[in-house]
Amino acid sequence: MSRLLTPVLWLVGIVAASALAFSMGGYATDVYRKLLIWVALALSYNFLFGIAGQVAFSHFAFAGVGGYAAVIFAHKLGIPFPIAFVLAIMLCATLAFVVALPSTRLEGFYLALATLAFSQLVLVVINEGGTLTGGTGGIANYRLPPLLGFDIRGPWYTVVLVLIVAFTLWVLLRMDRSSFGRACRAIRDNAVAAAAMGIDVRRVKVMAFTLTSTLAGLAGIGYAYIDNVINPPVFGLDNAFLLLFMIIVGGTGSHLGAIVGTVLLYLAPFVLEPIVGHGFLVVFGILVVLAILFQPAGLAGLLTRSPARQPA
Amino acid sequence: MSAASPLIAVSGVTKRFGGLTAVEDLAFDLFPGEILGLIGPNGAGKTTMFNLIAGVHQPNSGAILLDGARIDGMAPHRIAEHGVMRTFQHNMPFAGMPLIDNVLVGRHTRLRGTLIDILLGRRRVREEEASARQKAAELIAFVGLDQRANDDVATLSFGEGRLLEVARALAGEPRAILLDEPAAGLTAAETIRLAAVIRDIAARGIAVLLIEHDMHFLLPLAQRIVVLNFGRKIAQGTAGDVTRDPAVVAAYLGEAAGGFGGRNLNA
Repeated sequence: MSRLLTPVLWLVGIVAASALAFSMGGYATDVYRKLLIWVALALSYNFLFGIAGQVAFSHFAFAGVGGYAAVIFAHKLGIPFPIAFVLAIMLCATLAFVVALPSTRLEGFYLALATLAFSQLVLVVINEGGTLTGGTGGIANYRLPPLLGFDIRGPWYTVVLVLIVAFTLWVLLRMDRSSFGRACRAIRDNAVAAAAMGIDVRRVKVMAFTLTSTLAGLAGIGYAYIDNVINPPVFGLDNAFLLLFMIIVGGTGSHLGAIVGTVLLYLAPFVLEPIVGHGFLVVFGILVVLAILFQPAGLAGLLTRSPARQPA
Repeated sequence: MSAASPLIAVSGVTKRFGGLTAVEDLAFDLFPGEILGLIGPNGAGKTTMFNLIAGVHQPNSGAILLDGARIDGMAPHRIAEHGVMRTFQHNMPFAGMPLIDNVLVGRHTRLRGTLIDILLGRRRVREEEASARQKAAELIAFVGLDQRANDDVATLSFGEGRLLEVARALAGEPRAILLDEPAAGLTAAETIRLAAVIRDIAARGIAVLLIEHDMHFLLPLAQRIVVLNFGRKIAQGTAGDVTRDPAVVAAYLGEAAGGFGGRNLNA
């Protein structure tokens, strides 16, 4: 049944999410597009943090590397976009691999520190990159060139972002529902026992970090062409922490939770800001504490009523 | 013994932790299909010896051979790949997964599909996964936990957790299995079940190395017993041999009058 049903469900989901784009005005489109990027990032970060158990803060940094690299390759160096795109993805994968080699030896707090340092380093590089990165002002006034004769504009670009989310989810589900996903969860739950079962702990950790960080790079490229502007603050630590909050509130380790948590925390400020101003950050803080204390499985746990998962 | 050449040969192994010598100049062989008991008072070095074979510790001197090739110095996951699986003295389940997934993790080394195969959804990955699930379900039934296959491991009793450890280790189709106090905390019914399981494992030709404190459980089960005290081997032989050995009696009487859990040593 599921083999027949699954492709239909995917198609329905993609069409529905795309159809939304055509019904939206300018402001709603902007909010929706950025929400899609957040969802893509949250999905891959949920795999890294929630399933592989790696408390890394480098996810937005890799999104920045992807976005900046694509824009610099395509518009500063004049490389044709498809090649620039592939090069940007390869740069993300290579950099993630290089960062993963030493940092996946670290655990918990120390991995968090190492990836925080890497994030700061990326920010410094793009802030101080002179004309190549545009410094603190970033890069603007570029646009996605026509691809295969198609000029992707307006709602059609939103469809591209829907496809990025769908691709991300598809890759992560394949990984999760396989021996690789089990190995990641096993390492998260008990690395010593995982090694005794024949799992090469470092190798699996490096692969999970590299793959999810590369997916973050892909989302970063998608982000770069929303406003045709890319600048440093987006890739800073504020957003890295917000991403972590979204996962915890949604339900650590759950794909559905990553989506629910992201939609909720991304849209909440639009509702809360007129009422409490910047106080919405306090509301976020309270939500996270409540989730950790009373509902470790997050909102997804309430929705699916599965037995509470151990937090990573 | 059951075969001419040992599957695992431990020779002259010494392991020191700082000033403490946990295992000293220890040698023994483990043959395919045999159940070898490893006993001794607390702190005798039994679990250290397990960790040396499993690659958690590296010996300071001596060698550990599997099928004639050295495995000392190898990482634990490589030793598992070579067919040596273990259980832990304290249950170490993967807490976020149901029982069946715990056992499937134990089968990791027998799954050949790479991450590329997985991402491409190749047929052999699906087939491998389907047969792995079937094997895992069989093993769960084999240790008597089939009613609980889809339950979360957090809901298992301590004794059920012990049995899960055995099923998980067997899932890797090991040539040798190291069981660290598998009967500790089991109910009478679970203990009988476990004894049958261990006999069955050995009957399949798998070498079983068994650490156990419960002599009522171990003595009828092990074909040979190695007795450690303060890291040294003080006796080796059948249950009858070692329980009559004065050095063994002294080592145990020094710990608790009444010897082997109150059992008459000459029984």
